[in-house]
Amino acid sequence: MRGRFRPGVFWGSGVKRVSVAVLAVAFVVFALLPQQSQFLFHTIGGPLADLVAIPVKGMATLDRTLREWWVQYIALQGLAQQNRELRETVQQLRGEVNRLREQTYMAERLASLLEFQKDKSVRTVAARVIGRSASNWYQGVILNKGEEDGIREQMGVMTPAGVVGRIVRISGSTSIALLTIDPNVAITGIVQRTRDEGMVQGTSQGLVRMKYIPPLSPVKTGDAVVTSGLTGGFPRGVLIGEVVRVEESEDGLFRTAEIEPAVKFRRLDEVLIVVSLRSPEAVPSLDHALIAPGPQNPAP
Amino acid sequence: MKISVLTLLTLFLFSFQISMLSSFNPFGIQPDFCLVIACLIGFRTGPVSGLIVGFGLGFLQDLFSAGPFGLHTLTKAGVGFLAGVFARNFSNREPHTAFVPVMACSALSAVVFLLSSRMGMGLGEMLDGFSFILLPQVVLDGLVAIVANWIFVRWLVEAPTP
Repeated sequence: MRGRFRPGVFWGSGVKRVSVAVLAVAFVVFALLPQQSQFLFHTIGGPLADLVAIPVKGMATLDRTLREWWVQYIALQGLAQQNRELRETVQQLRGEVNRLREQTYMAERLASLLEFQKDKSVRTVAARVIGRSASNWYQGVILNKGEEDGIREQMGVMTPAGVVGRIVRISGSTSIALLTIDPNVAITGIVQRTRDEGMVQGTSQGLVRMKYIPPLSPVKTGDAVVTSGLTGGFPRGVLIGEVVRVEESEDGLFRTAEIEPAVKFRRLDEVLIVVSLRSPEAVPSLDHALIAPGPQNPAP
Repeated sequence: MKISVLTLLTLFLFSFQISMLSSFNPFGIQPDFCLVIACLIGFRTGPVSGLIVGFGLGFLQDLFSAGPFGLHTLTKAGVGFLAGVFARNFSNREPHTAFVPVMACSALSAVVFLLSSRMGMGLGEMLDGFSFILLPQVVLDGLVAIVANWIFVRWLVEAPTP
């Protein structure tokens, strides 16, 4: 071994003892009082996260600048710009087509029941992806909007192309969204063509699966899966992805569909955070409209 | 190494990992640089230094992680400490042997995350987590450790031999 070791090179023995004692207490608190320690660390960590976010945002800007410079000036100057514009247009059009398709399906089924009006209720805040969760066990992205911008936990995150995930942690100026490819995220979705409902959940392989589809459902490859609007955070009809494989579940009681997400998570730069949806009181709900007054459902 | 230099270095490395290095993910897996650094500091300078640096790095990771708060702090502090204890009983501390404690610590940390993040999701999801995340993660961390330890030994820790 060349050179020499300098054990205890960082701190003197007094500081070291105090540090070890503090860390030991922290370990015990973590182990015995997990809820309280979460709250404590969230309180301490909030301002610190804002501070650390400064170099992170700087690094993200540098990264973006370097990537743009590379794409624009090094690799196929004109084509890259055109390609990016076209890709953005395609994404917007895909979102638009999906929204219109969803509206058409709804209109066909419900035209006789109510006058379906265009949904203008969704209010979103645009945010930029400044980093990714530094762990492979939780697939998350760090966004440059936080509590100061009106962001709250459990808000839905999407792009014009489709669903991205859900906000799970916020600080003053940043927030963290857990992606739909993470197994800890579950969203209720419906197969657009058949109207079968199921639970959409990520997997450890980075895929998305729709579980609990009725066994007699005619769902097939190529079907679009959209949000049902039943769970909070997302409006109805936002594209989640396309079915690429259908199989029976392990217990044989349901069918499971493997879904290719509509959003390319590796190329995620900007997202929209859904900050408010129209309240059920303000809009005649389509689900409510389907329940016709009768003996079981007397008219109010 | 002075504490101010170490703090700045830590902050820089952390920012670099979650922003610029986030696209570096061979096999869809990102190496855990914070774990590697905590282990190497523990390995080369002792368990207490490893524990303290691991705690700091883990806390930073927790601030920007989607998982439960405290998990990174605990595991990084733990592996930093364990790497130091391991080094005391390990006579050969050449750069090319650094991957041994790092891979052991990475595996230990990954098991904690596997249990906490996939608990209750069924055996299939646990096995997927093991084969698609845990194993590649451990191998990648080991490879990164060899390079990082070489840099670490050359430039950061060891004073020139008088």
